[in-house]
This record gives sequence, C-alpha cells and structure tokens, in this order.
Amino acid sequence: MEKRKVVYRHSVAMRLTHWLFFIAFLVLISSGLQIFNAAPYLDASNKTEPARRVLQIGSPADGVGTLTIFRHTFKTTGWLGWTDDGMGGKTTRAFPAWITIPSYQDLADGRRWHLFFAWIMIVCGVVYIVWGLGRHDLRELILRPRDIPKILPMQLYYLRLRKEAPPHGKYNPLQKTAYTLVIFVLAPLLVLSGFALSPGFDAWMPWLPHVLGGRQFARLWHFVAMIALIGFFLTHIVLVATTGVLNHLRSMITGYYRLGAHDGTGI
Amino acid sequence: MKRRLFIATSISAALSSCAPIGTKLNDNHGFHSFLESAEGLNEVAIGTRGRATLYSPSDISNDFPIDSLDTPSDSTYSGLVGDGFRSYRLVVNGLVDRPQALTLPALHGLMQMSQITRHDCVEGWSVIAQWQGARLADVIAMAVPRHGARYAVFHTFDRDANGTPYYESLSLEQAAHPQTLLALRQNGSPIVPDHGAPVRLTVPTQLGYKSAKWVHRIEIVASLSPIGSGKGGYWEDQGYEWYAGI
Repeated sequence: MEKRKVVYRHSVAMRLTHWLFFIAFLVLISSGLQIFNAAPYLDASNKTEPARRVLQIGSPADGVGTLTIFRHTFKTTGWLGWTDDGMGGKTTRAFPAWITIPSYQDLADGRRWHLFFAWIMIVCGVVYIVWGLGRHDLRELILRPRDIPKILPMQLYYLRLRKEAPPHGKYNPLQKTAYTLVIFVLAPLLVLSGFALSPGFDAWMPWLPHVLGGRQFARLWHFVAMIALIGFFLTHIVLVATTGVLNHLRSMITGYYRLGAHDGTGI
Repeated sequence: MKRRLFIATSISAALSSCAPIGTKLNDNHGFHSFLESAEGLNEVAIGTRGRATLYSPSDISNDFPIDSLDTPSDSTYSGLVGDGFRSYRLVVNGLVDRPQALTLPALHGLMQMSQITRHDCVEGWSVIAQWQGARLADVIAMAVPRHGARYAVFHTFDRDANGTPYYESLSLEQAAHPQTLLALRQNGSPIVPDHGAPVRLTVPTQLGYKSAKWVHRIEIVASLSPIGSGKGGYWEDQGYEWYAGI
C-alpha cells in the first residue's frame, strides 16, 4: 500500500465530546423509552387530549400490541405494545425490556438515568460548540450560503447519477447540511423540548413550552427530535462503515486521519 | 467485506448490550448514588422560580385521572366522610411556637386563592384544573415556625396496600411559593374523596406527586431523615426525586 499523507483532523476536545455524546445518546434513548412507557402516547396539545393524539402504543387485548399513528393502527405484537417485560414474560408494555434502561419497568430509575445523562449531553454539546467554533474545527462544518447550490450536485454524486463531486473544502455540502441541522437545530430542539416538560422550568420561562405548543406537544417534539437524531446516527454509521472505517475510527480516537480515496466523501 | 461484517456485528452487539449493562449498573448501589447527584444540579438550575402559567376556564380538562393510590377506606376516613368532615382538623405542629388544629370553616375563613393551573404527572400526562383554597404559607405562618425549621411534612389519611403511610414534604422556601395552596375546592365544587377531600395540596411548580391528597397534619421539621425511609416522601422513598421541578 502506498504511503498517504496523514493529517491531524480532530482535537482532543472534539474527540472526547464525540464519544461522551455517543454514550449519553445511547443511554438517553434507552432511559427515554423507559420514561415514555409510563404514558405511551403523544398529543399535539398542552394538556393530555386524546382528540389531538398523534401516536399511541397500546395493547387492545392480552397478546396483542399495536402502534397507532394518526388513527392508522398497525399490529406490532412482540415489538411494541405487547412486549418482553424483562423478567422472562410478556406484558402490556410499549417498548420492550431489551431496549430500555433499566430493562424492567421502573420510571423512577429511568428518570435518574435520563436526567443525569441529559446533563452530560448538554455539557458535551456546549463544549463542542464553543470549542469547535473557537478552534475552527466546527467552522468548516457549518453550511454557508455559497454551499447551497452545491447540495443537489453532491446528492446526485452520492446517488451515482453524476461522475464528479462538486468542488468543496474539507467537508462536502451534504455533510455540512447534515451537521448544521444536527448541531444547530435538532440537538437544541431535543434539549429545549426536554426542559419544556419540566413544571419548574415552565414557571420560570413559560415562553419555551408556549412556543413548542405546550407540555404534551413538547413531548411530541422531544420524541420527533430523537427519531431524527437516530436517523442521522444510522446514516453516520453507514457512511463511516463504507468509507474506511478503521481510518475514521482512528482519527476519532487519536486525531490523525490518513488522506485517501474517500477523502471528502465520507462522514 | 469481512471487515464490514465485523463492524456491523460490533455495533449491533454494542447497541443490544446497552440495556443489560445499564440494568446491571442500575442495581449497583454506588453507581445509583452517582446518578442521583443530578437531582442537586436540577434543583440549582431550575429551582422554584417565577409563577406557574394560569389558564382560562375553557382550558379545564374534562377528566382528571385518579392515579396510583386508592382513596382511603379505613374507619377514620370513612367516619369523616360520613359526618361531612365536621370533625376534621388540619393539625400544624412540630417545630412551631403555636400549634394549630384548624377546622374546615377556619380554613375557608382564611384568604381564599383561586387559580387554574396545569397538573403535570411524573408519568408524562397533564391535566388542567381550577383550585381554590388557602395559601400554604398563610397556614404555616399561623403556627409560627421556630428557628431551625426547614421543611413542612404533609401527613395524609392514605396508606398503600402494605400499610405504608403516604406522606410528602416541601422545603419552607418551596412552601412559601404563593401558588402552593391547601386546596378545598376543585373546579368550583368541594374536593371529592377520590381527589383528596377535604384538603389537598396543589404545587403547580412541581410534578404531581408532590401535591399530596387527604392532608390531615402538617409537621414542621428540621430534617426529613427520621420520617418514613428518610427521603422526604412516599414516592421519594421509592426512588423518585425529592426535588420534582423536572
């Protein structure tokens, strides 16, 4: 194999916050689903209002699990609604034991995990943004007006409908779009919709739950932001896995990235 | 290809081991205490600031769930229901200079507040209701707490299936919040037994489990540790946060 140029790509703070964020993300999903199980429905409203229900996971009869989205009901037995209880049996339970922390139904402990790791995520996010903007790491990731015309050609290139990627810097326009959305839209929405669920925060800063449509609507936003971030996460994994996974992993652990064939089209 | 398979396998393994590892750690006492440290941070960051949002009569929910605990059915409580709560007394004692035993007419005689607020359950649901009653702060002030008093503990008529008494507590700072009421009426009518008759607490700045039903005694104390399992409430003793602003 020819020797390729090795560059220092990720600073210590970026690497550390990346991995801590990853752990917090997994824990927050699992403990969040545990919390969701205590009231497995989402209403586009301030108070609980079945007439404005967007999503409900239920069990209309023993042995049957269902997912209802806007009055369309799907049978999800074993996956949602009627699932594994974490103690060897099946029960009325929205999300199954294998995906929740703790596995058995325990709202109090789910909340302990969630509220602890929420702070880890917030601290990581703040360090990531402040450090990243200060140290240029992040500036190259932000989508700028001049990148916008290049989004479509880049998408065509990804879809193999175009031979060449449009010229771009360290990160391509689609990467910039994804990261800008995640860092400046989805992650803040996730955190703010979480705070909007808090009655103490509501009393302190009522404008926040108000702009999100109220407390129950904030639960819906919180859930939607989670789904969107899982979508980003899966895309991220696929792209890492297909564009030199060891090189990427190494650069996110040691900081050093070897330039090569996938340069600029990866994660 | 082998490499991709390896990566895919390791990612799936990592994801599916998240819940079992979490469950193991959850059952570890030291790690659990570590997780609990976030509660202090929440109390510092959010605390008890501002005023709960007030709603209009058209926002009031049609149904208010009766949650978790059964309405007391012992002879003391059913006797009170039988005599229309005429023999009910709200006792305020503990670290106070002037212990009180207030009748319902006496509570109705205090300045009455009325507010339409949202009750947020820890489970995730929310209902809006109108409450009318006396400010908790006014009732506590009548008893004149002594130097060193830090908490108000609410003893109720309720017991769980094992006979463990249901109780709750607030710091005196939280108790002083002007929207923390000892409610006597709900949506314009006297509170019914299922919703905590004759007197229940409503704490709109915290989660619903702080709003104790069927209150019969307010004990002013310096420390919560001698009461129940020492965490400041029935649900707190089961692992829920004492600071329930989030």
